[in-house]
Amino acid sequence: MRILVAVDQHPYSAHVVKDVAKLAGNTWADVTLLGVGPKATDIGRSSNRAGIKHPLTEKLKNYRRNFLGHFEKEESPYEKKSCNYEFVEVKRGVWEELYICRGARKDLKIVLRSGNPVKEILAQSQEDESDLIAMGCYKKGDCQWEGAVNLPQKVANNATCSVLVVKEEKQIRKIVCCLDQENISQKSIEMINQMVTLYQTELEIVGLTDGTALKPMVEKNLNAILKYYNARQIKAWIKLVDVGSLASFISQEARRSMMALWMGKHSLLSKIFPRGKVDKLVQGSESSVLLLR
Amino acid sequence: MLRTLVYLDADLASSIALRYACQLTRVIDMKLHTVHVEEPDQDGYAPGSGWVRRTWENAMLKTGEFEIAQLINAEKSSCPMLGAPKMLVGDRENEILREIQRESYDLFVEGSLHSFTAKKLYDKIHSRLYRHIPCPVIVVKNLVDLEKIALIVRDDVESKKLVSMFLKIFSGAKLNLDLIYCEFQEPGKLAFKGKVDKNETMSAVEEILMVNNWHPENCRTIQGSPEEIGDVLRNYGLVASSLHHSISKKSNWFQLLSHIPSPILICWQ
Repeated sequence: MRILVAVDQHPYSAHVVKDVAKLAGNTWADVTLLGVGPKATDIGRSSNRAGIKHPLTEKLKNYRRNFLGHFEKEESPYEKKSCNYEFVEVKRGVWEELYICRGARKDLKIVLRSGNPVKEILAQSQEDESDLIAMGCYKKGDCQWEGAVNLPQKVANNATCSVLVVKEEKQIRKIVCCLDQENISQKSIEMINQMVTLYQTELEIVGLTDGTALKPMVEKNLNAILKYYNARQIKAWIKLVDVGSLASFISQEARRSMMALWMGKHSLLSKIFPRGKVDKLVQGSESSVLLLR
Repeated sequence: MLRTLVYLDADLASSIALRYACQLTRVIDMKLHTVHVEEPDQDGYAPGSGWVRRTWENAMLKTGEFEIAQLINAEKSSCPMLGAPKMLVGDRENEILREIQRESYDLFVEGSLHSFTAKKLYDKIHSRLYRHIPCPVIVVKNLVDLEKIALIVRDDVESKKLVSMFLKIFSGAKLNLDLIYCEFQEPGKLAFKGKVDKNETMSAVEEILMVNNWHPENCRTIQGSPEEIGDVLRNYGLVASSLHHSISKKSNWFQLLSHIPSPILICWQ
């Protein structure tokens, strides 16, 4: 699994780094901590060089320390084992002596980009082939980043991978995941599993009906998913929601539970919340939102 | 030994109901009987009469029998005493009612997945089957562990009937039991009162239970909206309540029952 954590210098970012550290501990994911700021003129090539002029570099170093602090040194999959100066061919015929650390089982990258934050976050996620973009936001109001209007909403709207928006320090009581399509990926089911484990909550699986009954394939999937979670000692509740009542259901549940929505190509939810409208869901929800793609 | 009828269709709700009923057999001295009804006129066309109809019905039964047998076989490992289901053809509600009356079942169990809106449960409670059914019913909405039961205490007369039914069904069982009294209020003010504040009805119910060797772990009053109280009651493996057939959809008691995601045991008033 590859997780991209988009951060800035505010407390909601520190909170999401803490949550992702726990998630990474359970999943042994490759993680990128990405700070996006205004154009910088003097960013040190080595992060232990003094005289760095970008406001985010210190914060990123702190986030790295906090992330690594979650793990016992001997057990950390991110702990570098040995570091040495080595000559590395950076271009054909050009060799550079770099300080190379080898031995970490999993990748922890600290990246700083400058430019439009939304574009840079999406670009990094494409380059990394991220499975999940995680970011925090203020829990009060409509989920904002300081100084970057509607950033979480814009990222959620335009990302091609799953997106987790964590409302600052909001305790999650329950995860509600909405299922309607006939093909749910194993990756999505496991992502939900990880969220339930991370937040130690119950899970409510919502099956969408068309007024009469569940589609046979959806019912079959629901049964399989229920058995999957029961086998892992995860308490999973089923709730049926008629398509006509879905918007009302989501607006009610989003006040108190983390919403996890499958937004695949053929999902009914992606029709109710098309790309341009996902931001309203992220904005309006009082709790965290997980968009599964 | 309690004779229990479990209704089965080839769907998730029935699978959950069967698994839950099998759990019940581990705590109650009961024998499970299963039944399925094929409704021949469901697709809206007349299948003829006489031997043509009988042949057609037999073919329908064979298909239904195969699907239900698959459902039962999936649970055999955890519920080895399950026998072959009784297969009937006809109007579903009429056939189930006839079967319950003919065989004098003590309890009826069926699955009905928990729904966001109250309509499904309302339609069920006002169905012909439920209006005339002579025994208590367990509506299984979710598969949960049966470790703790909540007995909803209402007024004196209803509660005594509920307790009497509860004692008959759960005689000899070793389960944790709480008595719950509900005070309905506006949402946003959920509150709990403990044993000290229990009312006369609750005290009377507790006394009856104790005489019969049931010692409620908690006697508490929950104040809140039906939805809030329903959410609290999800911590129970079974919620037992009395119910009038004529209950209104807008009634707080009905709204409460529709919001509880756990299985509910209904004692008819």
